[in-house]
Amino acid sequence: MLTRALLVVSVGLSILLSSLAAPAQKRTRRPAKSKVAAVRSPVVTEIKTDALVALLNRQSEKPLLVNFWATWCDPCRDEFPDLVKIDADYRKLGLDFVTVSLDDVPDIKTTVPEFLQKMKATMPAYLLNVPDPDPLIKAVDPTWQGDLPATILYTTNGQVAYKHFGRVNPGELRSAIDKVIGARN
Amino acid sequence: MKKRLALILPAALLLSAFVIAGSGRSIDGDIPAPAAIGSTIEDFTLPDVDGTNRTLASLKGKNGSVILFIAVQCPVSNAYNERMEQLAQDFKAKGINVIGINANATEDAGAVKAHAAQNKLSFVILKDPGNKIADRLGAKVTPEAYFLDANNKLLYHGRIDNSKDPAGVNSSELRDALNLVLSGKPVEKTNATSFGCTIKRG
Repeated sequence: MLTRALLVVSVGLSILLSSLAAPAQKRTRRPAKSKVAAVRSPVVTEIKTDALVALLNRQSEKPLLVNFWATWCDPCRDEFPDLVKIDADYRKLGLDFVTVSLDDVPDIKTTVPEFLQKMKATMPAYLLNVPDPDPLIKAVDPTWQGDLPATILYTTNGQVAYKHFGRVNPGELRSAIDKVIGARN
Repeated sequence: MKKRLALILPAALLLSAFVIAGSGRSIDGDIPAPAAIGSTIEDFTLPDVDGTNRTLASLKGKNGSVILFIAVQCPVSNAYNERMEQLAQDFKAKGINVIGINANATEDAGAVKAHAAQNKLSFVILKDPGNKIADRLGAKVTPEAYFLDANNKLLYHGRIDNSKDPAGVNSSELRDALNLVLSGKPVEKTNATSFGCTIKRG
């Protein structure tokens, strides 16, 4: 009986110790992991037309800035450092900023996150996965001919406060953001 | 004083109207809106890649023409090279000629010629210095298509088809428009958009 009890206790203890050891192991590994995480490619999420339109038309406490871009688009790549700075400056002031890539779907794990990582971009990143981009383009702006980049600023009510097709003028975009953030406060 | 106010007030109103109108898009706000469907495109003259001046009138087919704004370096335009060439070959015999226009200030005639040879593009490609014709048609991207009938009336404007990747093509608006017109029917879908590279205006 005693031996049995001892056996139960020892088994219980070993389970307890191993369960404690596991997080301990994780803890010891964590610094290494976080080091990896620091250089890990940003996550890019696939998005369909309906979900994107819903995101753009949302009612929120924060204004929303959206940048449509692609890695194959020269002016998109050129303006990206300015956008990263804008995100860094305005996110803390209450601006939501998302990017939508129009690259091919297989690029979601390669060129798109690689570029975002190089840019040190941390804003939520989507990649549009639709068989036909026409409904989205027309829903965003009927006058848009699909030229990239396209940058659109929405108010908290989902109204367009600013839009620009082609490489953005950072000063102009900043003053538009100042206005919507000012109107919010 | 009243007289001065009468002068200043309209001027201020006009200025504020410009400020409001310009608040949306400024840098490329001077690119004209696309030519309207049903409007007639006036004849134009542009140099080809060898520097010879060519007119729309001399290049169009008896049943019309397709103007394609294309590029040397744009990956989207390049994804369509084979499809554009096939389109040109398929419809030349049916009296609709494809005319390419390169309006990128960053790509000279030599580069356009070399690119056409490399990609076996047999249709005539014109250079559009100063974006004169791109502006007149309101072209923004590459590739971008304009289908004109025999009288240069614009019947379709927009993309070639729905997918940069040929495997994903399930709607070919440009071809549909050409086939409808050749069979004596009106174009059903006169405009469809897709993403493309912005034309690099000079």
